[in-house]
Amino acid sequence: MIADDRGGAMNPIDSRLQDALDGERDPAELPADLRDAYVRLITAARLLEVVPPTTVADRVMAEIRRSPAPTLSPARRAARWLSRPRAITFRLRPAWTLALAAGLAAILLIPSEPGTLNPGEAQGVARFVGHFPGARSVEVVGSFNDWSRGKLHLQDDDHDGVWDGAAVLPAGQHEYMFVVDGERWVADPLAGRYVDDGFGAGQQNSLLVVRPASGTP
Amino acid sequence: MVNEGPPDGEVVARILGGDGEAFGILIRRYEPGLLRFATRMLGNPDAAADAVAESLVRAYRHLAQCRDPSRLRSWLYRITGNRCRSHLARRHTSDIPLSEAPPLADPSDSWVALERGEQVALVERALAALPAEKREAFVLKHVEGMSYEEMAAVTGARIPTLKMRVHRAREALLAALEELV
Repeated sequence: MIADDRGGAMNPIDSRLQDALDGERDPAELPADLRDAYVRLITAARLLEVVPPTTVADRVMAEIRRSPAPTLSPARRAARWLSRPRAITFRLRPAWTLALAAGLAAILLIPSEPGTLNPGEAQGVARFVGHFPGARSVEVVGSFNDWSRGKLHLQDDDHDGVWDGAAVLPAGQHEYMFVVDGERWVADPLAGRYVDDGFGAGQQNSLLVVRPASGTP
Repeated sequence: MVNEGPPDGEVVARILGGDGEAFGILIRRYEPGLLRFATRMLGNPDAAADAVAESLVRAYRHLAQCRDPSRLRSWLYRITGNRCRSHLARRHTSDIPLSEAPPLADPSDSWVALERGEQVALVERALAALPAEKREAFVLKHVEGMSYEEMAAVTGARIPTLKMRVHRAREALLAALEELV
């Protein structure tokens, strides 16, 4: 007998029974007396699974309608700000250009509405659209971002399965792929042009040609 | 647990984007389990309903602080568990008076239902006699069906501690349930 923390007494139960109740042992392997105890505890748990016949949904919804909308912390607000589509225009003096080029390239890859982007000379706006119903995330990787994930996410704000986004890219030819749910690499079926991915398995990358915005009518 | 509809993370994003009505999806999804958990912890359906309602409102107001919306269930149980503990502390005892024991689950006149109701009452009394921490551990493990990892996220306790609480709760319940089955 051991004392419990309320001064009462109880018998420790066989470790084989504890293992079976933890799902680490097949209860069918228990001797008869332990199997009876197993059934008694599992039955007790099933009896406690009854859901109370009540609901608080109406009072909770009434209360939250009177409450201010939940707000993001400053840190999370900053993270959302960085991921929100926006137009970014920089006027760079030549001396700064090389020093900031890498950082600027990353910023310009933030997805945005095409109309809000403002490409510079020798740059253009690339728009990506894909139909991936049920996907949790879709992003674009390609030669323009070193095939790195996490730099160009597409959006499906109305949850209709159509994911889209746009980015400013250097004018010229780029290879790219969609990455769906962080693990499935898919060629863009709407790309129209493809090139072998060079890994010898017959896979193809989508091909995109970006024309300089200044050259478009 | 049936979990239909959009994933929790998507619902949370909608709410934080201004669609407060989407919180109803989360209520429908988690209210039954939270009410059951709180009822088993407090032994009083009215107090449990108050604790769950307060917890859900609190969850809504602090939704932006939910660091991982994919683990929303653990977060909601944690808030509700804290609420229940506060309620128990205000009562200055972890014992639940038998007079506050929940009504029989199936109060019909049939003999089978009556026998089942008596069994439920027997188990509820045995559970109510446990210290709150062991009661919580047993309910989360065997009634809500959580893993020890999820229980740790809900309670903030370490897994070995939770295993010990569950083991001790089983021992105490087994001793109290000689009449069962």
